[in-house]
Amino acid sequence: MDDLRQHLQVAGDEEVKISARNCQVFYGDTHAIKDVDVDILDKTVTAFIGPSGCGKSTFLRCLNRMNDTIDVARVEGEILMDGENIYDKKVDPVQLRAKVGMVFQKPNPFPKSIYDNVSYGPKIHGLARNKAELDEIVERSLRRAALWDEVKDRLQTPGTGLSGGQQQRLCIARAVATEPEVLLMDEPASALDPIATAQIEELIDELKQNYSVVIVTHSMQQAARVSQKTAFFHLGNLVEYDDTGTIFTNPQDPRTESYITGRIG
Amino acid sequence: MSQEHIASAYDRDLEAVQAMIMKMGGLVEAAILRAAESLEKRDEEEAEAVRRADAAIDALEQQVNEDSARLIALRQPAAGDLRTILTVMKIASNLERIGDYAKNMGKRTSVLVQMQPVEGSAGSIRRMAKQVELMLKDALDAYIQRDPELAEDVRQRDMDVDQMYNALFRNFLTFMMEDPRNITACMHLHFIAKNIERMGDHVTNIAEQVIYLVEGEMPADDRPKRDRTAFETVGPEA
Repeated sequence: MDDLRQHLQVAGDEEVKISARNCQVFYGDTHAIKDVDVDILDKTVTAFIGPSGCGKSTFLRCLNRMNDTIDVARVEGEILMDGENIYDKKVDPVQLRAKVGMVFQKPNPFPKSIYDNVSYGPKIHGLARNKAELDEIVERSLRRAALWDEVKDRLQTPGTGLSGGQQQRLCIARAVATEPEVLLMDEPASALDPIATAQIEELIDELKQNYSVVIVTHSMQQAARVSQKTAFFHLGNLVEYDDTGTIFTNPQDPRTESYITGRIG
Repeated sequence: MSQEHIASAYDRDLEAVQAMIMKMGGLVEAAILRAAESLEKRDEEEAEAVRRADAAIDALEQQVNEDSARLIALRQPAAGDLRTILTVMKIASNLERIGDYAKNMGKRTSVLVQMQPVEGSAGSIRRMAKQVELMLKDALDAYIQRDPELAEDVRQRDMDVDQMYNALFRNFLTFMMEDPRNITACMHLHFIAKNIERMGDHVTNIAEQVIYLVEGEMPADDRPKRDRTAFETVGPEA
């Protein structure tokens, strides 16, 4: 009999976008990430879950070299994006971060107009030749972030005047304005109310058409709702990485089971 | 996974709903045995008592469903907890069906006691009922002990029930052909035998649910079936 189930939770593309090999992170003497191997797929939402201090955010920050900004942090092993090691000396971290955008827990728009928030990245990276092209990028980015209709009449007002959920979508618009290939999100909805959270989750689902999205979240329900792949971190180890449906119905590792059923914090 | 939840109220809720299943299982086991016994002893009062007792089983199923729905809404169970709740709901609905079949046996017994007994039939039906009751007991033990091997054993034993039903089916056909005055009683007895055979299928469902609960997957292989009565004919060709 034909299987009529729609595999909504299955990754859209089996193409590997980022792969980590024997990745280790040290903060001074602390061994924060231990020997992580993972393949992150293109056009797929991957969720990192795990208790506080398990290393999920640390590992996320390896993916666009945000850990470079911390003096005592040291990253070992390889992280390959499209087969190239992003920690290679030839790679310019600033260029890398244009390709691997990031959205943080607290919305952090620049204290500038909505328009300037979005146009800043494309301007410094020289992505627009003239004002008309820049206008186009701003509109396209705001549309992708599902914010355009709400702000199109007040592009010159300060970004900080928007509601929390709108500010977060503005940050997403800002991140996508530089045409990244990967979007990293560190708890993008944890400071938002349920309606704004639902909007962000809907947006993440749309963003996966074009990007590889990696989201760190404390909400297991959120990971279950938005992601196709889930990685469970515990004490710096990647314990289990599988299809989200499998992780939440039939995880293989007892530590994963204990965490997602609320037995260890 | 014996470890407790951080939220202890979650553990209490899960335990409470599982205790209801056990209580239901006890009532259903008793109903099967009493129904068969009342038929053998031609005890109309006992048969009537079996019919009345079914309301308690139905009420428990209702309660299991309500509590499970509440647990899903409030706790969003995942992984093993999710499979536990799904299993509890399915076991409850299978138990409820078995209870209905026992009730139906009670109804038919009330009619049968008004007629001439059909030779040897009540004893065979009681043995068949006993077999199903033992399977149910083991299926529920397998649930409590999270024992997939015992569940698989129950699953295989349903074949014996099917064979007993086959034999009874042929017996009743023979009796009816011998003397048409047997037809009414044999029809009722046949429905009783069929009811017990169906109980066995529901017990098998419970056993399969236990395997799903422990292993995360339903058993893949097809269970051997011995119920061939769908292909039987009355003709003298045999």
